Amino acid sequence: MDFEKPEQTRKTVQPEQIDEFERELKQAMERRPAPPSLKRRIMQKRSMLRTERVHSYTIWWQRLAASVLLAGVIAGGYSWRQAEDRRKGEEAKQQVLTALRITNRALNDMNRRLAVRNREEK
Amino acid sequence: MKNWIAALFLVMVGLVVPAVAQNSQLPLPSPVEKELAAKASNVTEVTLGKNMLAFAAKFMNGKDGDEAATRHLIEGLDGIYVRDYEFDKEGQYSMDDIQKLRSYFETSDWSPIVRERDKKSGESTDVMMKIVNGETRGMFILDVEPRELSIVLILGPVKMEDLGKLGGIGGLGKLGDIDKESHKDKAKDKTKKDGDE
Repeated sequence: MDFEKPEQTRKTVQPEQIDEFERELKQAMERRPAPPSLKRRIMQKRSMLRTERVHSYTIWWQRLAASVLLAGVIAGGYSWRQAEDRRKGEEAKQQVLTALRITNRALNDMNRRLAVRNREEK
Repeated sequence: MKNWIAALFLVMVGLVVPAVAQNSQLPLPSPVEKELAAKASNVTEVTLGKNMLAFAAKFMNGKDGDEAATRHLIEGLDGIYVRDYEFDKEGQYSMDDIQKLRSYFETSDWSPIVRERDKKSGESTDVMMKIVNGETRGMFILDVEPRELSIVLILGPVKMEDLGKLGGIGGLGKLGDIDKESHKDKAKDKTKKDGDE
């Protein structure tokens, strides 16, 4: 900074610059109607955003419901299978007992006849 | 090279195991059985393979004495084949049918243990055992009465001591009842003798 010549250090604003600034300011302050498509575009974008939000919630609930339903079906199927296995197991057990009962009776009959024969021979 | 050998070994095992399993397969019903079933008023047929026996054993409560005994009996068995025919009247089958049944089940592996015949009453019992390498691998019982015919075929390691315990298993009746039966017969003989006198 040149202290000897202070006038030269200050920036001098030219009149043209002032005019340019004024013009821009006037333009900015001027109220102009929006272009016809602007509102439509903004409303469209807004509805798209809303739809996406609703859509994502819906999908989230649908997935949750489907998961719960699937888990229910799997659990139900498993329970049914368990019950079915139990029933078949009981049936098989009864068949085994029936077979052993018949075996026991046949062996008993044989023993009885052999015992009678032994006594007769004595 | 090692992979090829391992694969070949697996293939051979895959071929041998079913062949061995087939030997323990339960027999198909003989033609005579079908005829008997047609004439019988009451037919009981029980066919249980190895898998079914193992499945049934799973549902036998180890805590219950009877069920634990039954489970011990059927453990390891390859199969149980039982046919019981009850007839309304006598003469529904012939001795020829009985002989055909015996021939159907009696192969070279089977050794007759008991052959009991009573011509008067028409009752007979055949018991055969399958002995393989000194071990019992099967038991066959054919019990013939005028109005009832029973066929029992048990495949697998049959434990005779467990069979003897059969009577102790609840609901199956007691082998010990033979003593009672023999006392009954004695009483009958006595009354007969008294009657004769």
